[in-house]
Amino acid sequence: MDTPSQALAAKITERLVREGLITAEAANRLQPRFADGKLRPEDWRLPIELAKKKDAKP
Amino acid sequence: MSAAGLKKLTIEHLRGSVAPFALPLEKGKKLTVVYGENASGKSTICDAFEFLGKGRVGSLENRGLGKTNKYWHSVGKNPADVAVTLENLDGSSCRAIILKSDVVANPAASRPRVEVLRRSQILALVEAKPGERYAAINRFIDVSGVETSEAALRQLIRDLTGNSEVALARVRENLDAILQFWEAAGKPGSDPLSWADTESTRDPNSSDAEVAALATLQAAYSRLGDYPARLKSAKAAVQTAKAAAVEAQQKAQECVQTIAADAGEIMGVLESARAYLYKHPAPTVCPLCESAEKVQGLNQRITERLASFSSLQTAQAQTKTAGAGAERLEQQLEALRASAKNHAEGFEMARAGFAWSADITMPAAPAPLDIEALETWLAGVAHLPAEWKKAEMVRQDKKQFVETLKRACTTYTENVQAQKELDTLLPKLNCALEIVAEERRLFSDNILAKIAGEVGRIYELVHPGEGLNKISLELDPNKRASLEIGASFCGETGAPPQAYFSDSHLDTLGLCVFLALAAMDGPENTILVLDDVLASVDEPHVERLIEMLYAEAIEFRHCLITTHYRPWKQELRWGWLKNGQCQFIELSKWTSQQGMTLVRSIPELERLRTLLNETAPDPQLVCAKAGVILEAALDFLTQLYECSVPRRPGGLYTLGDLLPSIDKKLRNALQVEVLVTDAAGASSYQTRSLTPILEELIRVAQARNVFGCHFNALSFELLESDALGFGQKVLELIETLADPDAGWPRNSKSGKYWANSGETRRLHPLQQPT
Repeated sequence: MDTPSQALAAKITERLVREGLITAEAANRLQPRFADGKLRPEDWRLPIELAKKKDAKP
Repeated sequence: MSAAGLKKLTIEHLRGSVAPFALPLEKGKKLTVVYGENASGKSTICDAFEFLGKGRVGSLENRGLGKTNKYWHSVGKNPADVAVTLENLDGSSCRAIILKSDVVANPAASRPRVEVLRRSQILALVEAKPGERYAAINRFIDVSGVETSEAALRQLIRDLTGNSEVALARVRENLDAILQFWEAAGKPGSDPLSWADTESTRDPNSSDAEVAALATLQAAYSRLGDYPARLKSAKAAVQTAKAAAVEAQQKAQECVQTIAADAGEIMGVLESARAYLYKHPAPTVCPLCESAEKVQGLNQRITERLASFSSLQTAQAQTKTAGAGAERLEQQLEALRASAKNHAEGFEMARAGFAWSADITMPAAPAPLDIEALETWLAGVAHLPAEWKKAEMVRQDKKQFVETLKRACTTYTENVQAQKELDTLLPKLNCALEIVAEERRLFSDNILAKIAGEVGRIYELVHPGEGLNKISLELDPNKRASLEIGASFCGETGAPPQAYFSDSHLDTLGLCVFLALAAMDGPENTILVLDDVLASVDEPHVERLIEMLYAEAIEFRHCLITTHYRPWKQELRWGWLKNGQCQFIELSKWTSQQGMTLVRSIPELERLRTLLNETAPDPQLVCAKAGVILEAALDFLTQLYECSVPRRPGGLYTLGDLLPSIDKKLRNALQVEVLVTDAAGASSYQTRSLTPILEELIRVAQARNVFGCHFNALSFELLESDALGFGQKVLELIETLADPDAGWPRNSKSGKYWANSGETRRLHPLQQPT
């Protein structure tokens, strides 16, 4: 059974993907460490930058 | 996947179980009600579940006993004798024992999840401090992992915002620097940045070749500079050497003239003789004339003669040396001329080898190859080296300027780019942070709202329409891990229930909070144990509380309720409560020899059926039991249809009062839709009229009094089959009217008929026919 943190991390990453802030692949990678509180500041930057660049592509 | 159903709980020497006690649990019934008077062992059963599931015995806690382990075993037994075993319907089991001072369950993986609520704890959560209340529900809203990751995102935004400010400051600095360069350059063009871009694209190394050529030129020039002085010096040295050579020669001539004309040859002979005598120091004759005369002292005399020739020798040596010196100096002078010529050629090569810029002045005439003309030429161009140095410095400065400008432009571009990227990235990060924070708050709020809603829903089941079900659970935003509980009271929301609710209402609220929390945590795997919680609820609400417990229990793996509330026992016996899900167990009085023992509690209808099924049924017992059951059924029907019965002090009615009060119109209208299920599992309703049953009961009703109530000689005249027929008709009436598992049809919500739970019975009509 999911812990509250795991359930919430899943909801949040799903919404971040929906809002185009990260890709689905990045969400899958981020989610476990997000729930465990192991994301460092730099871990947030790259997926959002990558999603941004993907957006920018024609 | 939900855990298996329970089969049997065996308690060995835990508290009141002085002898091993087995509690069989019926298959298919998720609710077990354990009824018993005080001190019958109800709490021991609850303790056993808690011992197994949580490794503790909660009933002994908070009694001032300190560590309670030493009181867990039965009197006369040891901790090692204590064991609790739970057998499941799938064949698995779990046994807990005390090992040293710990409770060990084996297998540990099968240890059941147990939640126990005791009467003494019912208000614990409602009256707890906000922090303790938070701790109780923390497991549902603990998102500390997400909070830590959220803090990392917040930190990133803080860092990047700082970086953005630094980038902005650097952009301003670079812009200022470029502006200064532009102004220093005389503000060419209209835009400093365009100018800087153009300037910075210049190759800073473009003047390197010219600077290098200038260095070569200056070096070549400097090599020429000392030739005039060196020429003078060399010439003077040659002149002096030549004069010395002439003088030495004259001196030598003078010596020769003072000595014999053949002095030179004589000196040679003497030198040879001295060399001979060196080898033959004692000759007997003269080696030249072979005469022995004057041979004595010959060596001495040769030495003396040679000394007389030394001045000549010196003069000759000096002449030779002076001549050689003059010759060498002349050679050096020639070498100097050649070197000057080479360097003059080198200078010309350096000058002609580069296309000089216009601002660099060159000598009007080429450097002379003749050293003699060099001095004049050097005097004519003496001002040029300073100009060349200046030109070189100008080029060095230009190079440095371009490089500095290029750096300023690069830094400016990089920082503008960095700032642009941050301007795009930061809003996204802020958006992500807002989403994280919003979802986190929503998540906690939703869970708290879900718990509060569940508490309210359950509470409303017990206190319908009282308007007290608007329960709220809120995290205190100003305090960490602090939970406030509120309720609506007289239109005021968020009122602390402890301040406004009655004790009974608070008790119900406490129970509802416990049930709601237990239901949040995988109820299908949880055994819920409620120890005598009905005792604190006031009488009018007990019925609804029991109904609520019935409804909620099915959500759990199993629910066990202990009670000493006698009406519950009676209502179950009479089938007034739906007991389809319920197993009723009665404990008899505890004794120190036998400990806890069970009494089988049999519903009245079952007792009647048993009496009728005996090989030789006893008419008196059948009629007595059937009469009581018929009175219960008629009491139910006459109240349901508000039939007229004679008023009497005490409100006690006999069959004679109740049976006629169901008049013919109602009797003819009464019919029941009975839900039946065929062998294939298909369900359908069969309509059965109560009219023939009631008509027959009116006909044979006297059997009740004749056979069942009194000694009556009239009974000798009547057929026993009438007595048994009376019993059969009562049984038929009750089986048609009520479902032993789903109770009596008391619910009129359909608006068309009365229904029991699950609508296995639909009683028509809804009202008396007019």
